Amino acid sequence: MHLPDRVSGAILAGLGALAAYGGSLLPGVPGQDVGPSVFPMVIGAGLIGCGAMVAFGIGRSFEAPGPADAEGAAPGAPPPRPASRFGGLRALLPPALLILYVLVVERLGFLPTAAVLVLVTALALGARLRIALPLAVAAPLAVHVVFSRLLRVPLPDGMLPAPW
Amino acid sequence: MSELLEGLRLVAATDVLVAVFAAAVYGLVVGALPGLTATMATALLVPITFYLSPIAAVATIIAASAMAIFAGDIPGALLRIPGTPASAAYTDEAYAMTRKGRPEMALGIGLWFSAIGGIVGTVALMVMAPALAEIALSFSSFEYFWLALLGLMCATLVARSSPVKAIAAMLIGLLISCVGIENPAGTPRFTFGLTDLLGGIEPIPALVGVFAISEVMRAMVSPEPARLPRRRFGSILRGQWALTRRYQGQMWRGNVVGVLIGVLPGAGADMAAWVSYSVSKRFSREKEKFGTGHPEGLVESGAANNASLASGWVPALLFGIPGDTITAIAIGVLYMKGLNPGPTLFTERASSMYALYIIFIMANVILIPLGIAMIRLATLVLRAPRSAVLPVIVLLAAVGAFAIGNNLFAVVVVAAFGVLGFVMERNGFPVAAMVLGIIMGSMVETNFVTSLIKSDNSLLPFFERPVSAVLATITAGALLWPVVAWALRARGRAGAAA
Repeated sequence: MHLPDRVSGAILAGLGALAAYGGSLLPGVPGQDVGPSVFPMVIGAGLIGCGAMVAFGIGRSFEAPGPADAEGAAPGAPPPRPASRFGGLRALLPPALLILYVLVVERLGFLPTAAVLVLVTALALGARLRIALPLAVAAPLAVHVVFSRLLRVPLPDGMLPAPW
Repeated sequence: MSELLEGLRLVAATDVLVAVFAAAVYGLVVGALPGLTATMATALLVPITFYLSPIAAVATIIAASAMAIFAGDIPGALLRIPGTPASAAYTDEAYAMTRKGRPEMALGIGLWFSAIGGIVGTVALMVMAPALAEIALSFSSFEYFWLALLGLMCATLVARSSPVKAIAAMLIGLLISCVGIENPAGTPRFTFGLTDLLGGIEPIPALVGVFAISEVMRAMVSPEPARLPRRRFGSILRGQWALTRRYQGQMWRGNVVGVLIGVLPGAGADMAAWVSYSVSKRFSREKEKFGTGHPEGLVESGAANNASLASGWVPALLFGIPGDTITAIAIGVLYMKGLNPGPTLFTERASSMYALYIIFIMANVILIPLGIAMIRLATLVLRAPRSAVLPVIVLLAAVGAFAIGNNLFAVVVVAAFGVLGFVMERNGFPVAAMVLGIIMGSMVETNFVTSLIKSDNSLLPFFERPVSAVLATITAGALLWPVVAWALRARGRAGAAA
């Protein structure tokens, strides 16, 4: 997901233009110079400006080497794998699982949904089934005890109510 | 005096003491695991704090964050992987010391000077906050507008990235804060007809997304860190007193730098450590020894990152302006618990403030025995594979976000901000600046519009009131500084080329 500065600058400027346009459509408040449209328009203008500057590389000389560069690789660590075409998409797995959780948790119930979430994340991070399976059983139960029993959060029962 | 006693009584309650201890252990474990930051530890604590008494809720945040910042030093010294970003500045130095066969020394410095830094930071908070509260009592919406704006500018100035990208990140945060009807006019903005967006975007799920989910996303595309070899340690604290005497000046300088950076909005422990380490190197008489396992820089920056933690609470308690990302979360908890930030907190709720100071001191004192225990157990804790820890983090993020308002939309917010945080970080946009924008956006706008209504649409009072004028000047300076710095640098480069 590393974008060239030209692309990220263009995205910022586009976002700014949308914000400013969207803001300009908002109705004003009678008797007040500064209505609800002013802040989005100011922010939009700022984003357009910043986007242009990012795209043209102004201020890049200030960029210190990020912590990632400063850390370097630990000695003995394997060299980072060359990113395959779909390698970057793996990163999208956690948010995708969260969306899945939102979509099915009410129907399926907390325990099965949470078990799927934990199992898939663990396997994607390279856990063996020997670890991932017990974790997928134990973690949802433990979370259920703390949040549903102790903190009284109404976690949905769905198809599989908790045994307590 | 009676308020101090009342504060002591508040802290001595069983639930507070249990909360401090449990949060301390939690903070040590989370901080020591690479990739789990102190801010993430705090963000995941929030849903739990809802069910605690106000003092116990604040106590968990204080204890967990203080422990996590120290614990980040442990994998830094042993594996050369900082446990939290706050340790990144001196990880190489600490690891070099371990390679020389003195891991006890490296960890001991981290522990001892963290505790000292934390206590000095607390004393600074105790002295500064009530004094500033006296002045702040006379502030009105004009001053608050400038303060909020100044806070936003500070966050972009101190970011370790291009100021343009930092400002862009802050503007994104401001734009996010525009969503909803929580604006002075009560007009729905950018809600796209969705009821869930009417109330605006809740900061806490957004922070959980930015600091927890994007971290898991990063782990998905990076290799598993090396395992820690089993190791036995000698005495952890031996020789620390000699170091304290030898590097007294550096220690105090680190403390002062830490306190100052903590007070600056948006800049927290990681910034304090980077600045202190470079200050230490710059003014050292033994510059050539830096990077080879030399204690001087460790002393100074180890003290600085913990000192910044307590002083970060100064603007948070006084103005509701977060001093760092941890207090950004803490402010939400303060509001939730009826401890609304503001100068009156120090007059009307003085006993609660005393309780808060006592908890800070207590957390930094128990840091030493718990820290030693954690160092001895580190080989055990650090063997927990990432693939077993991070799935639980994802689950806790989902359940925690839901628990805040029993609303599944919060989980969507977590996912969306996870992606946003991940993409921004990859492209060099500092997420801390965006977080500040989200939290302070409505503060800037509300105070601006309220002031205009008071002054009948006249801008003059923004510059006429004495404190306002000073704040306006500082803000303008902060705004112009990157341009000046750029011009100076360009001139310097031209001079060097000629």
